[in-house]
Amino acid sequence: MPLRDRPIQQKLTAILLLISGLVLLLTATAFAGYQYWSMRRTMRDMLAVRGRVMAANSTAALAFADVTHAREVLSALRADPHVLAAALYDQDGRLFATYPADLPVTAVPATPGPDGYAFARGRLAGFQAVAEAHGPRLGTLYTASDLDAIYDTFRLSGMIGAAVLAVSLLTAYFLSAALQRAISAPILALADTARAVSGRRDYSVRAPPAGRDEVGVLTDAFNQMIEELQRHATELEQRVAERTRELEARAAELLAANTELDAFAYSVSHDLRAPLRSIDGFSQVLLEDYAERLDDAGRDALNRVRAASQRMGTLIDDLLKLARISRAEMRTELVDVSAMARDIATELQRAAPERQVEFAISPGLKARGDAPLLRVALENLLRNSWKYTGKAARPRIEVGLVEANGGRAFMVRDNGAGFDMQYANKLFGVFQRLHSADEFEGTGVGLATVYRIISRHGGRIWAEGAVDQGATFYFTL
Amino acid sequence: MSEGKILLVEDNPDDVALTLRALKSHNMKNEVVVAKDGVEALALLFGAAGQPAMEELPAVILLDLKLPRINGMEVLQRIRASERTRFLPVVILTSSDEERDVIDGYSLGANSYVRKPVDFVEFTEATKQLGLYWLLMNVAPPAPRRP
Amino acid sequence: MALLTALLASLLLQTGPAPEYQVKAVFLFNFAQFVDWPPPAGAVADTAAPLVIGILGDDPFGPFLDATVRGERRGARPFVLRRYENVADIEACDILFISRSEAKRMPAILASLKNRPILTVSDADRFAERGGMIRLVTDRQRIRLEINLEAAQAARLTLSSKLLSVAAIVTPRRR
Repeated sequence: MPLRDRPIQQKLTAILLLISGLVLLLTATAFAGYQYWSMRRTMRDMLAVRGRVMAANSTAALAFADVTHAREVLSALRADPHVLAAALYDQDGRLFATYPADLPVTAVPATPGPDGYAFARGRLAGFQAVAEAHGPRLGTLYTASDLDAIYDTFRLSGMIGAAVLAVSLLTAYFLSAALQRAISAPILALADTARAVSGRRDYSVRAPPAGRDEVGVLTDAFNQMIEELQRHATELEQRVAERTRELEARAAELLAANTELDAFAYSVSHDLRAPLRSIDGFSQVLLEDYAERLDDAGRDALNRVRAASQRMGTLIDDLLKLARISRAEMRTELVDVSAMARDIATELQRAAPERQVEFAISPGLKARGDAPLLRVALENLLRNSWKYTGKAARPRIEVGLVEANGGRAFMVRDNGAGFDMQYANKLFGVFQRLHSADEFEGTGVGLATVYRIISRHGGRIWAEGAVDQGATFYFTL
Repeated sequence: MSEGKILLVEDNPDDVALTLRALKSHNMKNEVVVAKDGVEALALLFGAAGQPAMEELPAVILLDLKLPRINGMEVLQRIRASERTRFLPVVILTSSDEERDVIDGYSLGANSYVRKPVDFVEFTEATKQLGLYWLLMNVAPPAPRRP
Repeated sequence: MALLTALLASLLLQTGPAPEYQVKAVFLFNFAQFVDWPPPAGAVADTAAPLVIGILGDDPFGPFLDATVRGERRGARPFVLRRYENVADIEACDILFISRSEAKRMPAILASLKNRPILTVSDADRFAERGGMIRLVTDRQRIRLEINLEAAQAARLTLSSKLLSVAAIVTPRRR
């Protein structure tokens, strides 16, 4: 668990423990170090003192070559079990007497070294000049002592020290565990409250007050924030309730409107078409049954009547379709625009095989939207292009994707009759046409339908064109 | 040549006239019985107070949807509900091509759904095709045993 | 053991008087470290006065004694070597080695030296019993010391206890 994620109590306790532990350790080490150094010094001093005493006692023995007496003097070292060896050398540096008496000569240096004591190879040893006060050097005393005294004392101190350290650490642990609560308790209370607020979204809780230190400030600020939150939440709830009511009312209205529209469309399908059928039908009857009694003008009139009623039928159908677009439910899915365009192209070609139109449809065009509605839109656009390239020499229709207005837009382009940009704003109006009926047939609802469909998808549609140079329709979804 | 009768259920007299004319223009000599609304249609099929049912059930029923009193869907329902007329071919012939109507029609057991075009020439052609198919090609269900 | 080796070594390397006298010369020189002489009566103690080692009779030391004391001092007092033929020649002397050649005249010599603050040393027989202060006894390659403490004390000489501890104390035979 990274350090940052550990609970505060743990961290505080750990810090306190660490510091006290460190302090104890440092102190203990310092003491131990001092003790060791001190012990060595004391030991050396003692050995030196003893050496001086022994040297003083051995002057005569050396001066008068009395080996027996020399050995006697040295044997006084028996009292100290830590003494490893001792030796007396005469004036010429030759070994004179040893302690213990039967010590092998290799246990002591062959010749005396410089005066003084030193720690080496696990023992303290050194040389002391033997001379009478103010007298010439009579010889040298060598003493060697083991360091067990130091080690024993050290071991003892070590154990005591370790025990003290352990007890201190334990005490420190308990104390810190107890004392850290003073810091951590208010923080934990704050954390609990925060969790209650964020977890249960319960804005009625408040953190318990926590004194005047920084944690207290934090707690107060926190409580204030919760109050604000509570207030905001309540406000929001009210507003949401209001809006919901509004929306519900609106939805009810819309539903009513839609139902009306449904009924309307339904009526239209039946009621408006029936009379048209009659008009057309009986005109035809006239044409058929009374043909010999009608002159050209008469026949022409009746034909116009028929044409007009049929056209009205188409208009009604187109309007119905447009109305349906507006109220159909949209289901969003991923649509393969390229495939759809190719499909429509094939249909158009099959319906009019005599026409040779080049189709350039970019592959991999995809969009998110209502598949049937998008199909209607694409059909209308492509049917338009198909229609208006009717007079072009080498008709070509493109479908692709372009960069436009900082985003990407689909594009349907043809090289047909085009339109005057002056009237571009009328393109998508219902029943608006920019060409006369004998140039190109149509009701002027196609683009309005496309416009309605694109709008329902939340997109934009716009067009560019020039007379006899084709038109390009861009749309986003 | 089938001798089956056609039951035309249509309230609009113009449409009736035009349909009859269309049928006649294709030399279909089959008798056409006309019911002006749903009630009449049902009376003809099942009989009603003071009016016996048709002797012979029609070979096909051309049913309009927008009818006064009882509308086309209900008539269809009744037709399909009766053992006597369960298998009678019913062609819905109407101005509407609302999806709802199409679905309802087929759900209730219509055999076919045709939208009446405004153009009379087209209408005549459609009628001819209907007649050809339902009267000549289609094998009618066997007449149920008369009680 | 080392002493033996040393003696043997000097035996092999040198000719001349027996190395015995080299040791005795060292002893003679060393006595000065372990003896305190009383300050001269009357006059202020002259701590830089030479410390005189005298030889009465034949000089058995050869070059050894000269070599041993050359340039040495006890404190501020330089060592000086004197040779005497007669006791009467002895004036200021601190340590007197009486050679064996004077053995017959020993009592007279000792008598005339009595109470004078001169440390009398000799290797003559029964020197200490006769009243001499320190006798050097050659005993199986070792030189032992026999000390007549009374004689030293009578001459107001203080002998260090250390010296006494390596010597055999002898009480003079009462005549």
